[in-house]
Amino acid sequence: MKLLIIEDEKNLLEAIVTYLSRENNICEGVSDFNSASEKINLYLYDVIMLDIMLPDGNGLELIPMIKKENPEAGVIIVSARDSLDDKVSGLDLGADDYLTKPFNLSELNARVKAVWRRKKNKGKQEIIFSEIKMLHESREVFIHETKLKLTRKEYDLLLFFISNPGRMLTKEAIAEHLWGDYIDMADHFDFIYTHLNNLRRKIKQAGGNNYVQTVYGVGYKWTRE
Amino acid sequence: MKFLQKINRQYFLILVVLLLLISFSGYFLLRAIIKNEIKEDIYEKEYAIIQEIKSQNNLINLYPIIETRNISKNKTEPKSYKEIYLSDEAEDETEAYLEYTNSVKINNQWYLIKIRHSLLETNDLILAIALPLLLLLVLIFSFSFLITKKLNKTVWKDFEENSQRIQNYSFKKTQKLTLKNTGIEEFDRINDIIMKMTGKLRTDYFSLKEFTENASHEIQTPLSIVLLNLEELLQQNLSESELKQVVSAINAIKRLSTLNRSLLLLTKIENDQFDADNVVVINNILKQKIQEFTPLFEIKKLKVELNIAQDFTLKINRQLAEILISNLLSNAVKHNIANGSIQIAISQNELKICNTGTENSLTDKTIFNRFTKNNSESYGLGLAIVKKICGKHHLEIRYFKNGQHCFILNRKL
Repeated sequence: MKLLIIEDEKNLLEAIVTYLSRENNICEGVSDFNSASEKINLYLYDVIMLDIMLPDGNGLELIPMIKKENPEAGVIIVSARDSLDDKVSGLDLGADDYLTKPFNLSELNARVKAVWRRKKNKGKQEIIFSEIKMLHESREVFIHETKLKLTRKEYDLLLFFISNPGRMLTKEAIAEHLWGDYIDMADHFDFIYTHLNNLRRKIKQAGGNNYVQTVYGVGYKWTRE
Repeated sequence: MKFLQKINRQYFLILVVLLLLISFSGYFLLRAIIKNEIKEDIYEKEYAIIQEIKSQNNLINLYPIIETRNISKNKTEPKSYKEIYLSDEAEDETEAYLEYTNSVKINNQWYLIKIRHSLLETNDLILAIALPLLLLLVLIFSFSFLITKKLNKTVWKDFEENSQRIQNYSFKKTQKLTLKNTGIEEFDRINDIIMKMTGKLRTDYFSLKEFTENASHEIQTPLSIVLLNLEELLQQNLSESELKQVVSAINAIKRLSTLNRSLLLLTKIENDQFDADNVVVINNILKQKIQEFTPLFEIKKLKVELNIAQDFTLKINRQLAEILISNLLSNAVKHNIANGSIQIAISQNELKICNTGTENSLTDKTIFNRFTKNNSESYGLGLAIVKKICGKHHLEIRYFKNGQHCFILNRKL
């Protein structure tokens, strides 16, 4: 996947580029409006992540340019402003997703992949991790060709894990990804354990391995071992 | 009272006084002039009478105009004028006369001469002169009154238009306030002052708006960097206790970010940076928010009852309406007990949210204050934001306890 990250804060840009480059992605970063429009005019990208507030312009103005020069690219807006207007106008202009700062890298990763999947083959894509095969369009999961009966939350949980292999995912990050912004008001995140346990049991029954490693009091990790 | 009205009223008052003054002085002046003429006429008559007596010794009597008679020396009267009324037999009414009385000595004999002149014709004359004069004056004044009125209207037209422009102006508009040049020095001066003042206010408004937006950006961005780095730390091979420390740091950063957002939101509401441009049906927002909150309800095993009597509509910014409802709901969840309940009732003018919960010492007076909290989990800003949103939209929010904790939101009467 080829990515373009437009973010004016150099430290943040560097961290995002380093992180997203790990999974065999080609990731480029620019920190101002002019170099961003230059890149958009010269190259094609799969996903473009853009910050609204740039030192020399409004990131939203890049969207029509992207739609003209690179209509296949998915666009994710990242903004520190929690403004509904920005969100609405961004999505109206044709952005695919909107992320508010501060965000988790695992969340960003999941969103980037989701946008990319939607754009590429219109969602008709198989996600394969060892013996697990996910058909995203139909939301079906197979283990060695045995179909799993998963609930919506279990499916989303599995997808979030597979999108972030080898990463420590905190309970808070998982809860926020699956249940939305308000979930941080919950006094505990034990309910994740219930869903995760069901998921593990179903995979095991179908003959799959347990890839989930628990770090007590912190979170979970989807490991290769 | 309108400026024009005030001017006109005063103008009219002055006019009336002036008219009265002119008419009265005109009347008296004319009268004096005519009287003078009459007196001259009387002198001429007296002279003729005296000549007649001297030459012919003939006493002329022509009642009521001339009376002449002999008198003894001790009956003489001094020269005098007086106004008298005599009855006119022919017309059966009294008539005013100016009577001249004089005693003259001719050839050692005293004569009393009385000459009278009717004042009736004088009055007629005065009337004949004064009336057209008065009419003319009234005409001139009313004409000039109308002209100034018409003139005033054209002069004030630009003023009216400018005041309309000022009234319709909002700082949120992209253009600066421009006022029409009236060509009148005083108006243009005040226009200039208003334009300069609004220009300055507008810059202040935008810098404040920019500040709140930049402050958000400038704080959230470093927080993002901290968060990203802490997340990367989590991926290292750390011991469980070290990982827990990192998680606690992550949670603290998230709290800081939420706190910053809430404080900025309060500032933005205070600065009127939200346009109340939508008519929002609160019922719909409530239903949507209940759906979003369902996972939370399930986690705490809360029973939620929703009673809808009618649609509760408000003219409010949609985002603020959502914040209002979600803050009230999250409050009802946060301070609830496990297996508790939330009762929501909505009618045409009222939204009531009651929840079970533990006893607290908060009252209607203190609960909406910033950073007032019952436990360390909350920030104590949610209800302060609710209160602020209500204050900006003519809404009233009240809190009371009756075994449950209840919040009532209604239109301010």
